[in-house]
Amino acid sequence: MSKKSRAEKKQKEMLEMLKRHGSRVYDDLNRGRFPAFEVPSRSVSNIVYDDALRQYILGNSSAQRSSKNTAQVRSFTQLMWLAFFANRLTHEKKSSTLRDVYYSSQAFAVDFKNQSESNGIIEDLEAVLTKPREEMHIFPEERSSIFGDLDIEYTVPGYEGKRMNLANHPDGYAIGPSLTSAELIDTSAELVIAIEKGGLFTRFVEEQVDKKFKSIIVDTGGQAARSTRTLLKRLHDEMSLPVIILTDGDVYGEHIAMVIKSGSANAAHLRELTVPDAKWVGVWATDIERFELPTIPMTESDIKRCQDLKRDPRYSHGIWRKELDTFLKIKRKAELEAFSKYGLTNITDRYLPQKIELARSL
Amino acid sequence: MSTERFNQISPSEFFYRNRDLAGFSNPTRSLYTAVREFVENSLDACDQKGILPNVKLVIKAEDDRQDPRTYTLAVHDNGPGIPKKHVPLAFGTVLYGSKFGLKQARGMFGLGATMAILYGQITTNKPVKVSSCTDGQTAHIFEILLDIQKNKPVILKQSQKKTKKRGLSVSISLEGDYSKAGSKIRDYIYQTSLITPYASITFEDPKDGKFVYKRILKTMPEPPTIINPHPHGVDVETIRRMIVQSRRDGMSIDTTLYRTLNIKDEDSSYNTVSAQAIKRWKRLKPEQRTAACITNALKCKSKYLQNVIIEDIDLDTNTILYYDGIKSQSKTAPLQNKEPFYNHIKSLLAGEPLLSFLTDRFQRMGPKTAQSFIKFAGFKPEQNIGLLRNADLVKLSDSLQSYEGFLAPNPSCLAPLGESPLEQGMKEFFEPDFQEVIQRGASAYSGFPFIIEMGIAYGGKIQSRGIKTYRFANRIPLLYDEGSDVVLKVVNDIDWSRYKVKHDAPMVIASHICSTRIPYKTVGKENVADRPEIEKELRLAMQFLARRLSSYMSRRGKAEEAKKRANLYAKYMPLISQFCTELAGRSTEPKYIQMLKAGGSDV
Repeated sequence: MSKKSRAEKKQKEMLEMLKRHGSRVYDDLNRGRFPAFEVPSRSVSNIVYDDALRQYILGNSSAQRSSKNTAQVRSFTQLMWLAFFANRLTHEKKSSTLRDVYYSSQAFAVDFKNQSESNGIIEDLEAVLTKPREEMHIFPEERSSIFGDLDIEYTVPGYEGKRMNLANHPDGYAIGPSLTSAELIDTSAELVIAIEKGGLFTRFVEEQVDKKFKSIIVDTGGQAARSTRTLLKRLHDEMSLPVIILTDGDVYGEHIAMVIKSGSANAAHLRELTVPDAKWVGVWATDIERFELPTIPMTESDIKRCQDLKRDPRYSHGIWRKELDTFLKIKRKAELEAFSKYGLTNITDRYLPQKIELARSL
Repeated sequence: MSTERFNQISPSEFFYRNRDLAGFSNPTRSLYTAVREFVENSLDACDQKGILPNVKLVIKAEDDRQDPRTYTLAVHDNGPGIPKKHVPLAFGTVLYGSKFGLKQARGMFGLGATMAILYGQITTNKPVKVSSCTDGQTAHIFEILLDIQKNKPVILKQSQKKTKKRGLSVSISLEGDYSKAGSKIRDYIYQTSLITPYASITFEDPKDGKFVYKRILKTMPEPPTIINPHPHGVDVETIRRMIVQSRRDGMSIDTTLYRTLNIKDEDSSYNTVSAQAIKRWKRLKPEQRTAACITNALKCKSKYLQNVIIEDIDLDTNTILYYDGIKSQSKTAPLQNKEPFYNHIKSLLAGEPLLSFLTDRFQRMGPKTAQSFIKFAGFKPEQNIGLLRNADLVKLSDSLQSYEGFLAPNPSCLAPLGESPLEQGMKEFFEPDFQEVIQRGASAYSGFPFIIEMGIAYGGKIQSRGIKTYRFANRIPLLYDEGSDVVLKVVNDIDWSRYKVKHDAPMVIASHICSTRIPYKTVGKENVADRPEIEKELRLAMQFLARRLSSYMSRRGKAEEAKKRANLYAKYMPLISQFCTELAGRSTEPKYIQMLKAGGSDV
């Protein structure tokens, strides 16, 4: 299948799915029946870890959202409106954001109490369709960045067919709707480096890490947004690039890496957001001693977070467990910037090569 | 000690010294109590004669001073009025009363009202003004002061005038504090109107306020029948009073004696009457014999007898004390030691035999029961009650209490308002969304019958947040000492959430206890004590009403639910229709209108 048809196929799939649901509701109304949706339950009790998929998924329980139920008719209508709105977005290849969706609703006399309510309905629709919101052209506000030798071809209206190399601008390129939906054409890179912080991302571009290590650098901007994770997955799956992850040397960094690798419980209803082969290469708790990094003490909430994660089955083994235990033992943490103690380029000159080497052997 | 001695203590004197007990402790309370006594007297008088009451209460300040100051309190009614000859005694003595029978009335006639008059006289030194008309033609007008030490009326002025209205007007001057008592008095009038929906009550207050409560229904509740007390319900003092009454009744005079004696002329002399009476003595009835005795003692014409009321007879001094209705004053006359008159007078004082006293003056006391009771108590049926000593009275009273052979009290002496009048009253007053009333069957405590009536009203124009309880006893609103009342206890004990009623629901409860004796906790007569029998009946009534309210709340909940549902569908179904039409790629909307009409009642 050609790369160009991939986006179109996805669009067609989404439109057909939406039409199918719309027709069912239409027919119900025509026959005097109250329409309903089966919405898979996203409550904690229905989120289970799937060993084979190596991610959290939803269990079998679902709840009916019926237009007959007075307590649900409002949210049923909201869900219908969102499907209707997503249909227009997808059809016209227009992009929207979570916030934009919330405000757009007001034009249709569909009232959301606040944005978190509309966000909830968006997740409901994702669960009903088992498709991420990005496929309905709804994107998060926060933008992460990408830099490196990668040719893409836009599919968004007005730019169709236009190509771009992502090494042309030293600030990197924002991972927005047009980039997320673009076709990935070609690359010379052999590696994707996902890094937690914008500062280090800039340093890596300046130090030409893309050239030195034949890599594409992605700034996740803290916890990676879903569009970022989708792009990482596509780089891995479509361009066959290994993905390594660099985070701060603390429990939150460890979890940023885990979410890229195997998803979050929040997105347990989606299956296309994980990069199971991604590798977390640092900063590990054990690195702190090995590289004699300057540290700061862990806070109470850091320690509590460690203990919470120890109950997560994904942290029950291997490096994930070992590093958590070490954090709990030394009760100290280090930032990526800690390497500056040994010079500004110490991280790219000394630490990174070792870690890339290590990743190959993992 | 002769039994008539206790009757000679001046009750005026006693009450003058103990006026706090009767509710005249300070200008605020006194004004309120005086209003109560007069209004209740008027309502009682109308009730007893089956007259739909029109009562007008007027309070006016007599001067411009600050409170407390002198007020004029006047009450006008359309009742039966008081016969001219009784007016001075009714308003000029304390503890004058013509009945010792037992029936439910708001209060004993005269006692409270004369206390108010006494209080007015003490604080302002002004007389009570009375205008009474019994026939709808002539009003008799009196100004009377009360001689406290002698407990006798002093008539200052007396006149009469033509009128067309029957009824009684009483006006007194008294020291009061309306600025403090006003709200209670207004509450009292308001609540009295609620429990007396067949009355029309007007109140003009000293601040030019006018409160008019129109008659809501034109049917009177059945007047209570006067019945004798139940043996379990009397104490020594009551027995004493009953004996006095029995003797008084024995002293009643047949003023038509001259006819029985075939004397044609009412003006014939006492000698003629006496001679004829002696001749026919054995055939004369007791009251005819008494008439002969009095004619002889007073040396009066037969015609005069109708103006005479015998008050007392003293054998130690051989005098007869009587009330002269023409001159409106008490007089004495010597008693001649002449037979058979003297013997008859002596027998009057000895009183009737115990057996007939019991059967005539108690309920549930037939001849058989009375015989076995007398045996139980250790008396003899033929003993004269007038000769019983103090210790005998105590023994009789104790035996009446402890003897278990009597049937439960007869409730026909009670005058409940009735379910329908109570319901109509509440409906008119509160205009609620829901109301329900119940009258429980008669029950009794300690020999006193009682009936509980209760009503509940919810929502509508009721503004209060939370439960407002109106308490009534014998159609009197109880306004003070709410906290310790048994009704409040019962209302507060209910777990309203179990009946789907919210804590702050707009709700009114009216509770009415009717009894020949309300067990008040205090002499102020404002709160009812928690006798187990009464508490049980209150609780059953309350629970019944709460259940009814609960099922109303369910129905209302369902109706509201349906309405809410219809509104929701009307709002959202068009949107759903619009969205799915575009999603499905159709050009016309689905036919969902029918679903709105069904209101989601299908499954």
